[in-house]
Amino acid sequence: MTLEQDALKHFSEVSVALELQTPDMTLNIGPQHPSTHGVLRIVAQVDGERVTDVKPVIGYMHRGYEKIAEVRTYPQITALVNRIDWVSGFANEIPFMAATEKLMDIEVPERARYIRMILTEMARISSHLMFMASYPLELGATTPLMFALRERERVLDLIESVTGGRFHPNFNRIGGVKPNAGAGPSQKKAVQDLPKGFLQAARDAMDELLSTCDQFDELVTGNEIFLARCKGVGIMSAALAADFGVSGPNLRASGVAFDLRTHTDYLPYDQVNFDVVTGTVGDSFDRWQVRLEEIRQAAYIVQQAVDQIPSGPLQAKVPKIIKVPKGEVYVRAENPKGEMGYYIVSEGGQGPYRLKIRSASYSNISVIPQLLEGVLVPDIIAIMGSFDFVLGDVDR
Amino acid sequence: MTNSPSDLPATDEASVQMDTYAAAVADAVGALSWSTNFATVKVVVAPDEWVNSLRTAKTDLGLVFFSFLSAIHWANDVEVGDPPAETVDERIEVLAAVGDLTDGRLVHFSTALPVDGAALATLTTVYAGANWHEREAAEMFNIDFVGHPQLEKLYLPSEFEGHPLRKSFPLLSREVKPWPGMVDVEGMPDSTEPAEEGDSSDAETLPSGVSTENPGR
Repeated sequence: MTLEQDALKHFSEVSVALELQTPDMTLNIGPQHPSTHGVLRIVAQVDGERVTDVKPVIGYMHRGYEKIAEVRTYPQITALVNRIDWVSGFANEIPFMAATEKLMDIEVPERARYIRMILTEMARISSHLMFMASYPLELGATTPLMFALRERERVLDLIESVTGGRFHPNFNRIGGVKPNAGAGPSQKKAVQDLPKGFLQAARDAMDELLSTCDQFDELVTGNEIFLARCKGVGIMSAALAADFGVSGPNLRASGVAFDLRTHTDYLPYDQVNFDVVTGTVGDSFDRWQVRLEEIRQAAYIVQQAVDQIPSGPLQAKVPKIIKVPKGEVYVRAENPKGEMGYYIVSEGGQGPYRLKIRSASYSNISVIPQLLEGVLVPDIIAIMGSFDFVLGDVDR
Repeated sequence: MTNSPSDLPATDEASVQMDTYAAAVADAVGALSWSTNFATVKVVVAPDEWVNSLRTAKTDLGLVFFSFLSAIHWANDVEVGDPPAETVDERIEVLAAVGDLTDGRLVHFSTALPVDGAALATLTTVYAGANWHEREAAEMFNIDFVGHPQLEKLYLPSEFEGHPLRKSFPLLSREVKPWPGMVDVEGMPDSTEPAEEGDSSDAETLPSGVSTENPGR
């Protein structure tokens, strides 16, 4: 469009607006809406197709975990933290366990740390696959859903074969993992470790998964309609992301190569090789690309881990009644959605004096009003969906 | 702390480095004290210096990533849970965790506010992301963040009364509905051991935080 045409178009828009004197409309999206991944309400002020102001209304799912945790013992809290980000329940347990173990000065056996790492990466794959399923769906493509959920079933089956649970494994114990992992009711004594054939099944599943990632590249990443919807949409600068505490794939999509897996020692990530994937401009498309590539990296981590996993005990020696010495600790982990951390204040009792839960989606969506100002109404969905939040992780 | 994760297990060298770093941060922001317990760097500043010290942290120390802001209510009389092991100064401790995006450093800034009339200048002028965190802390702990653009309730309904994360706030569901675990509870494995002073045998069968005077809660 030439400058002249541009000016003319602008002029006609302005004159129409002046003539019609259209008042802004308030558009309520949610609390029940297919693209909100839970109960989130977005109150948008729209002027025609342009969004002028956005207010997210959260709290519909607030369950008060921080308060409940004050009257629960540490082992009981494991069951609670599973339910914060239910798409990757297993990964939620890890920083809480690591924080408690740090306060109690417990060294977790290497095999247990490896099992934790394998299952955390599987949780990451399952979470990102959920995104691979839902995001194209929100943009109007239904087929990728089938591909993604098929792969997710494979991963969930693997998690289930070890932990007995698909969504809320509740599998970690302070000092290690559940000792009779994978034992069915009939083989309580016989199997005391990973189920038979698990390592090979994991290898096979990862091979399948990697080829599905290539299919995704062909099916979605190059798709013209998909590109038109998310390229250059919702650009978030690295400085804005840091200011709002946006973490995880959303932060890396803005070009920041920051991954807590390479900076902390909560799991043996120093013994596997993987790339920290980053985007370039920080638009919705980069957020898609980063997650797709992170699935591949997670699959590589699982492949290396099942080859390297050492034998040995699954549990450190811990007292029957867990009493945590007085102290304060904050441990954070790179969860599928971003930085998840627990600030535990212990006063020497069986439960924490105070537990602060730092969840990733909460900070991640707090930046959304900044990105939605001035965009078109359909882009609300294209931008919000690309942040991959879960309301349980927002409302806690 | 270094870039390489293999150097991280709390060797003496790593903890010395962390102490050096914490001391440098405390010096730069004019802190009252600092600590590095369990690899958690904490810097205590005066409430008046709160915004200034965090601005210094962001601009001069490269701590650009706003992780979270929250609070701890230190109280000797508690409605839920166990009271602190020793008598504490009653106060609201506000915590703000900020980090860098290169070396994986994280510093917890802490300041103490009076329990009645807790007020603190808003951090939203430094870290825009403090907005929601301060709204949450305000409704949960009754802290007034002076200068906050929109200090409305975030999670709770607007007509909600009380501040749930204060230790004086009872766990309401336990007031109206008995603890489900009260049915058929077995003694804890060590319940045969002599009870500690002040413990009755009932207390052993109750979950932590359920009061013995009113076991219905």
